[in-house]
Amino acid sequence: MRFLFVDRILQLEPGERVRGLKHVTLDDPYLYPDEQGRLVFAPSLIGESLGQLAAWNVMFANDFSQRPVAGVVASACLHRPVYAGDTLLLESFIDCLDDSAVQYHSVATVGQDVVFTVDGALGPLLPMSQFIADDDIRRQFAEINRPGDWVAASQKSLNDTIPQWDETRVQVPMNFDRVLDCEPGVSLVAEKRITRSAPWFPDHFPFNPVLPMTVLLECKLNLARLFLARSSFPLAYDVKELRKMKMNVFVHPGDVVLTHLSVHKQDEQELILRYRSEVDGKRVCVLDVVLTAKGR
Amino acid sequence: MKVENVYPKVREIIADVLVIDEEEISQDSRLIADLGAESIDFLDLVFQLEKEFGIKIPRGQLEKNARGDLAEDEFEKGGVLTVKGMQALKNYLSEVPESHFKANLKVNEIPMLFTVETFCKLIVNAVNEKNACETVG
Repeated sequence: MRFLFVDRILQLEPGERVRGLKHVTLDDPYLYPDEQGRLVFAPSLIGESLGQLAAWNVMFANDFSQRPVAGVVASACLHRPVYAGDTLLLESFIDCLDDSAVQYHSVATVGQDVVFTVDGALGPLLPMSQFIADDDIRRQFAEINRPGDWVAASQKSLNDTIPQWDETRVQVPMNFDRVLDCEPGVSLVAEKRITRSAPWFPDHFPFNPVLPMTVLLECKLNLARLFLARSSFPLAYDVKELRKMKMNVFVHPGDVVLTHLSVHKQDEQELILRYRSEVDGKRVCVLDVVLTAKGR
Repeated sequence: MKVENVYPKVREIIADVLVIDEEEISQDSRLIADLGAESIDFLDLVFQLEKEFGIKIPRGQLEKNARGDLAEDEFEKGGVLTVKGMQALKNYLSEVPESHFKANLKVNEIPMLFTVETFCKLIVNAVNEKNACETVG
């Protein structure tokens, strides 16, 4: 099982912008049923796909001497779900790049529909040798760097029928292991133990296995659903935006991530959940999840 | 523009970036030792300050400002500040108490000295420079 999401790079201008695509198909292990049983691609992994695309641009620009890692994202908006059968068209724009960090923004579309946007992403650059062999990263790039027609790809990305969930599908769970404390409508504390056998570690990264920020974000989105189910809010809410994300330090196999969720704001328009994750009492990741009242 | 003009907003942004209460922050707080900032927080902080004040702060600007007119090999040798370099740094970081400057300070340890006021000064300089350029333009 791979944790590499860009299927093909179609256009690349080093240090400027990059376009690529990802087919979301039934071969994908990161599909989950929505309320109607339709197979949806994990939203945080759309962000991962865009981040990996930006990273390919940066790594090509510096001749694979450094790689960006997850740092800060000011805002990521989920405009609509992405279903099995859709083709994600990915674009990342490099706003600023030097030898210490990259700043970029990205957009993912399906056909003409904008499905996911990332703004204010900042990633520190670290030596490639800490993460993967030079030959391997160059080979991975060569496999997907096949320039092509962006317009033609855009016209073939729509989905006719959405496959439904069935019990036989293999699914990679992205959840916290257990809830330690919960005050419905107010706060919740949950724990996730990080195991080396999780499927993302071989690619993220071969020389330095660390928990992808987007996996932790997806766990937190699922935790929000659990919290909402346990709370008795008078309104139903949908996730609209992930805001003020920051991964301070790497989380390694063997770590135990303790996450505190609390209601930061709640009214008839929106609900904002604030998350703080710690390992051994040290802040490792913070995030706000913005949900809007359904139908608004 | 002066430090006291920007301090309230800088304090608010630092609290937001470090996810701490504003009350924990004073003008002489050191970002790393007192407020627990990590390297990624500095990136985040500079990004937020740039947005708020409409300025551009090139990475490493504080170190460059500290070096002033000194050539790189006058400022540091083998990653350790020279005597001249240390004096230039002390002159630039005049808000930092003498006791915080340890002997044989390495270049990559300079951020350990940065206080909230250091960032206020950086903003003031950048805003004043920007205003001066606009006036000349």
